[in-house]
Amino acid sequence: MALTGDLTTFNFADILQVLAKDRKNGVLLVEWKDMIVAYYIKEGELVFARPVDKVFRVYTDRNFEQLLAKLRIKKEDIHKTIDRFFLPRLGQKEGIFSFTPGFIKFDSDVPVFYPVEDLIMRASRLLTPEEVDRKISDELLVFEKMPDADVKVSKIKLTEEEKKVLSLVDGSKTVADIRKEADMDRLTVDRSLYGFLAAGIIRRKRKERVQKPSITLDLLSKIIEKIKQL
Amino acid sequence: MKELKKIKIVIAGPFAAGKTQFINTVSEIKTVTTERKTSAAVEKNVKDYTTVAMDFGKIRIDDEHELYLFGTPGQSRFDFMWEILGEGALGIIVLVDSTDPKTFHEARRIINFFQSRFPVPIVVGANKQDLPNAWPPEDVKFALDITDEEGIPVIPLSAKNKEEVKKTLLTLLEIIRYSLESP
Repeated sequence: MALTGDLTTFNFADILQVLAKDRKNGVLLVEWKDMIVAYYIKEGELVFARPVDKVFRVYTDRNFEQLLAKLRIKKEDIHKTIDRFFLPRLGQKEGIFSFTPGFIKFDSDVPVFYPVEDLIMRASRLLTPEEVDRKISDELLVFEKMPDADVKVSKIKLTEEEKKVLSLVDGSKTVADIRKEADMDRLTVDRSLYGFLAAGIIRRKRKERVQKPSITLDLLSKIIEKIKQL
Repeated sequence: MKELKKIKIVIAGPFAAGKTQFINTVSEIKTVTTERKTSAAVEKNVKDYTTVAMDFGKIRIDDEHELYLFGTPGQSRFDFMWEILGEGALGIIVLVDSTDPKTFHEARRIINFFQSRFPVPIVVGANKQDLPNAWPPEDVKFALDITDEEGIPVIPLSAKNKEEVKKTLLTLLEIIRYSLESP
């Protein structure tokens, strides 16, 4: 099943987050206003970008190594296609995307020049206030670091501001506390939190459930039986 | 006549996620709706009428109890109703239109709203799985930032399909049972 959507409402930080979480393989096709670009995703990492004049051409090349040979591109140079066809477009919001999983065969040694966590942070730095509000919607939210946060952070060149924001995430401070203590503009704080969340560096802290359901087990069993019989 | 005791489950979700349909599919009465013509241009493109206060359907459990399914209005301008309807709910089902990723952030906002106010079990229903461009439930889960630690299952369904609606309700009820049985 394809994942499709519009960049105005589902930005690159969000798209890469979904692809990275499940370590997907496939091709992300983006129809920009001026061109169509196929982005090749290997185990959740963006490894190659290729403009195409016709969409069907993407689906005729099912072997990545043969595709590179056909295009006369060396493996060590494939990141240059990301420099040219992805990074300059991170801030562009007009485009339709669709991701088709699984049809392309990759070799095991495709190099990853830009780790997905790094690309997610780059995308987050360009988000508008309206976009950051989608994830950082409540100033009472509390975040905590993921157990493998250090591993992911080591793949990113964080800015000094981002380092400071990350140091304030401790599982007890609210977004409002972090905004106040960071002593920088709110958009920078929120963009950082958005990026950390999308890159899997932090997560929402789960509230402990204290409320027992106000119902007896007998009555609940009756409800379950009734629903089954509907 | 003895008044029946009411048990409440809330069906929440963004605009046009399929909440009224979900209730219609299993309610034993014709769903009571508070619909008005959509006013915003962007909403008119999606559907002609929308819930403005609540919908409800009900299922008779025994001689003393009825299960009410309350549907919330989808637009956040009616979020005062979410608070009213969430009070005393046994659990919450948040429906998402799996074909419309622009509503996923709003769905997460709704989950945050209920999580912070009502510490009851939540299940997400990834609705409209019968449509060709529906996102798979596992991707809806990632897009909604739902972590395993949150304990919120994402159930694929079509709200028009009775068995799938029942399965979603039963998933929520089983989580409630687990929470009752655990020390």
